[in-house]
Amino acid sequence: MTRRILNHKILGPKKHHIVPFIWNGKTYYGAEGESITAALLANYIRTLRYHESDGAPRGFYCNIGHCSECRVTVDGRQNVRACLTPLQNGMQVDRQGKLPQLVKGGGGNDTL
Amino acid sequence: MTHYEVIIIGAGPAGMSAANILKDEKRVLIVDEYYHYGGRLLGQLYEESKGSWWNGMDVAKHLHDVLDEKITLQLETSVYNVEKEDTEFTVFTNKGDFTSDYLIVATGAKENSYPLPGWELPGVMTVGAAQVLTNFHRVAPGDAGVIIGINPLSMVIGMELGYADIEVRKICLPAENKFNTTTPKDALLTLMGLGRSAPTKLLSIPAVIGSRMSPFHGMALKLFPSKGIKALGLPLSIKERVIKINGRDSVESVTTVKTNSDGSVIEGSEQEIKCDFVCISDGLSPVNEITSLFNLKHAYLESLGGYVPIHSEQMETEVDKLYVAGNITGIENAKVAMLQGEMAAHHISGNEAAVKNTLKSITDERKNAKVKFHKNLDAGRDKLQLYWLAK
Repeated sequence: MTRRILNHKILGPKKHHIVPFIWNGKTYYGAEGESITAALLANYIRTLRYHESDGAPRGFYCNIGHCSECRVTVDGRQNVRACLTPLQNGMQVDRQGKLPQLVKGGGGNDTL
Repeated sequence: MTHYEVIIIGAGPAGMSAANILKDEKRVLIVDEYYHYGGRLLGQLYEESKGSWWNGMDVAKHLHDVLDEKITLQLETSVYNVEKEDTEFTVFTNKGDFTSDYLIVATGAKENSYPLPGWELPGVMTVGAAQVLTNFHRVAPGDAGVIIGINPLSMVIGMELGYADIEVRKICLPAENKFNTTTPKDALLTLMGLGRSAPTKLLSIPAVIGSRMSPFHGMALKLFPSKGIKALGLPLSIKERVIKINGRDSVESVTTVKTNSDGSVIEGSEQEIKCDFVCISDGLSPVNEITSLFNLKHAYLESLGGYVPIHSEQMETEVDKLYVAGNITGIENAKVAMLQGEMAAHHISGNEAAVKNTLKSITDERKNAKVKFHKNLDAGRDKLQLYWLAK
């Protein structure tokens, strides 16, 4: 579980402009201009992608664009780092999945 | 291709401070990969002295507002190459290529990580990631977490999580393996070292430890309670290690073991701590990818956090008109970074009086630094000066 910190003891309240966005075909709501990572986390979504090779769940890690663990598809563009990308009204974000392993004998792909 | 007199890579404390000095006399472009200016000022929040807070977000806003739109700030712009031909720099980015007479590289630092089983699970993040989420985005990284790594950064951010009512269930060391070699003694020395100059609240840690035991480390280490102590509301254990992070789709718990004073594991002491997020904190290292693209010597200095481009006290490098500023030159606090940015800018302007004053300010700030990232920082800086003079 996670949540928005609406009234911070020291920093005070923060106003958000809430907009809809699409995650894997379903509508969610997030604060306009916050990172896709933050918007998804505020909706209790931690798994941003399944590993290309073994399909294991992966989430954001460094949150500054360095580790590239948070790669998602944004409006059809693949491998966009969610932590560096501000959320926009109506943005369509999709989780990426396991890829076929053509070299290691192929097969074993159930997401494409 | 648009030409600028000065291009600055990085809109953090160093880059923006440099731009503020240059804004009235030079055509300046700042680029940054993030969608908001401020770099790692975003998220910083601690009490410097009683009642006086350092709020990195406010500092960033001020640095930005005084730029007064006199320079070009391009965010969401990733640099993937730089070149210098004759007297001109070319900066290649995802938003097009730019040329300049001067280049200031202020790319900052990245966080290091302790690798351990389960660290790839969703819900595991660097301690800095949790800081930005909590204080800048205002989204809780989770309800209850465990912090792995005992250092100034993990202690400060542990407290910051508390300000947002996020529970920290343990701060302890990582499993010992080929990469993780921190011992309880290292952790104790770090904590005792916090007393010299640290944010007020951290000052109380050596006192908490000291009141329980003799100041002689060997003894202190033996006497440090195996179940840990409560310091600043944080459950701190120097004789406990996380050996794995557990969970199916995301973090559900960590498994810890107790250790002896020398770090060796006590058999049968395994324990499970439920949590929904884990922060890994192994310090910071300079981001030197861009300076590495030039024919430029870098030196490895542990006290500065890793490989740093050899540079002068005026922030020049071996390449003419290429400057560095901020954490790329070694891990220090944001105030030093800001002064280094100003220094580079004054040197570019040829303002000798300002260069002299800024040099003094940097020396003073280092002396009074509230957060010291490494105990041998000064010796590291001296060594770097020797490398520069001997180049």
